[in-house]
Amino acid sequence: MSVAADTIPAKPRRRLPGNVRIKAFAYLLVAPAILLICGLVAYPFLFAIWVSFTDMVVGSVGNFVGFKNFEYLAGTATFYSAIWNTIVIVLVSDVLKLGIGLGLALLVHQNLPGRGIFRSFLMLPWAMPAFVAFLTWRVLYQPIGGGINLILTQTGLYPEVIDFLGSRSTAMGSVIVASVWRGFPFWFISILAALQSVPKELYEAAIVDGASTWQRFWNVTIPSLMPVIIVTTLLSSIWTANGFEHVWLLTAGGPSDATMVFPVLAYYGMQTQRIGEAAAVSVYMLPVLGVLVIFATSLMMRREE
Amino acid sequence: MATLAEVASAAPVGTASAQRRIITARIVSYALLAVAVILVLFPIYWMIITSLKLPREIYRVPALWPQTFTLANFDKLLADGSFLLAIRNSAIVATTVTVISVIISSFAAYSMVRFRYRFRGVFGRLILFAYLTPGSLLFIPLSIVMAQLRLGNSLQGLILVYLTFSLPLSTWLLQGYFRGVPRELEEQGMIDGLTRFGALIRITLPLSAPGLAAVAIFTFTGAWNELLFALVLTTSESVRTAPLALNYLITSDVLPWGPLMAGAVISSVPLMILYFVAQRFMVAGMAEGAVKG
Repeated sequence: MSVAADTIPAKPRRRLPGNVRIKAFAYLLVAPAILLICGLVAYPFLFAIWVSFTDMVVGSVGNFVGFKNFEYLAGTATFYSAIWNTIVIVLVSDVLKLGIGLGLALLVHQNLPGRGIFRSFLMLPWAMPAFVAFLTWRVLYQPIGGGINLILTQTGLYPEVIDFLGSRSTAMGSVIVASVWRGFPFWFISILAALQSVPKELYEAAIVDGASTWQRFWNVTIPSLMPVIIVTTLLSSIWTANGFEHVWLLTAGGPSDATMVFPVLAYYGMQTQRIGEAAAVSVYMLPVLGVLVIFATSLMMRREE
Repeated sequence: MATLAEVASAAPVGTASAQRRIITARIVSYALLAVAVILVLFPIYWMIITSLKLPREIYRVPALWPQTFTLANFDKLLADGSFLLAIRNSAIVATTVTVISVIISSFAAYSMVRFRYRFRGVFGRLILFAYLTPGSLLFIPLSIVMAQLRLGNSLQGLILVYLTFSLPLSTWLLQGYFRGVPRELEEQGMIDGLTRFGALIRITLPLSAPGLAAVAIFTFTGAWNELLFALVLTTSESVRTAPLALNYLITSDVLPWGPLMAGAVISSVPLMILYFVAQRFMVAGMAEGAVKG
């Protein structure tokens, strides 16, 4: 590693030994990033855990209250709605995004003329700002002025106007559809890139061995995609579980908690100025989140090497 | 549908039935892709035409095509200048975050790729953890910290806070790009009289230009899109960003769909331009490491 230093022609100036200088230089380069990350991520992270054990409100330092915030939350119905809704959103939208992303990637991966154009169009929801996407879906779902009701009633598919975001039975489904629309391109492009890197020899060998099309799909394509699918699932789960915009801009957690999720609940806690409770909402997610993050980190570090 | 390509390529070439099968497979593929593209485009279409409709058309006579096109919604949105101010704030914040983040993260990534030192592994892990730590966990403590630093309710505060997601992502992605730059080129440059820092600036960074472009675009996009931190950290209208301005539009009492969609169109324009100019880099970068979204 320090070979390079040795090749620098020695200059007749007073200097520290080469390897010390190089190490100092290396630390100097990395220092701003590490200091900022410690100050802006690591410290606030630990601070959030501390706050969740206090009765802090805006303008006070707060006293240690043990598990009181956690017990209080566990006694509210909203909290259970948030757990259930978070699980539903993550599972259902991951499955849909995987299915749609994989299906479209396989279609675009074929040697079709014009595939580049399809790819560009299919990426559009991801290129749009998230807040624009969800505000647009909010308008689309409206009983008055919304495009979906217009199409359903005019084509006769469904005669009555549906208040998609306003009724308990449809709100969650509507949030999921909008977030799948916005989120599937990430899966699509990841899987497409993985498909393009599957060695052709594997398919040729399978054909020589007389494997049928389905056998090739299950025994060559799917195993080759597995690493990418696992990492994508982990990342997508982490971000979906912690997503704020999709729920906030569509329903703000309503109607009557039908779409309440952790980040929105924590935000409401902040708005009512009970910071300790709000922090406890976030900290409740930590055990599950921690497992996902550690798992994703080790997979990504391994892939990097 | 998974196997259409394989069916087509596996079929013996030349026979009439094989030809037919290939053609059928193509037609089905195009049909499915066309449906997907329509579903993708319809919301975007609705956003645009709603922004161009008169209020009475939006609410009373909904239709797929406006009877009269109007810029009234844009006029109404832009009339008091507050939305333009929000766009300007967003542009300032996103640009500044991008510049700071690209500089700091390229130094860090270079250090971690090129040198071997004791805490390198720890730093690598820290950066990845930071990348995966969601904002929903950090917005509460960060709002307290920013208030203590007297940076709450300011664009500077937002810029600092947005580094929490941009720095880890940029550093992580740039490490991948820097690994692809041959060490020999730098060593050659240093023999020719460059310092190590000179080699980084004059050789490694220019050779990683596509990576830097991807990282810059992701950072800009992330900052342009951010809502939660902005919602928590800013209180006065003078420091509102574009997502925030639109967020407050829907919490008002009047039905604002026309101006709201006009704002949506305006907010999309910078990113859509970026997307069409730099699609190549973005797709490569997205496939490279994962990107939040």
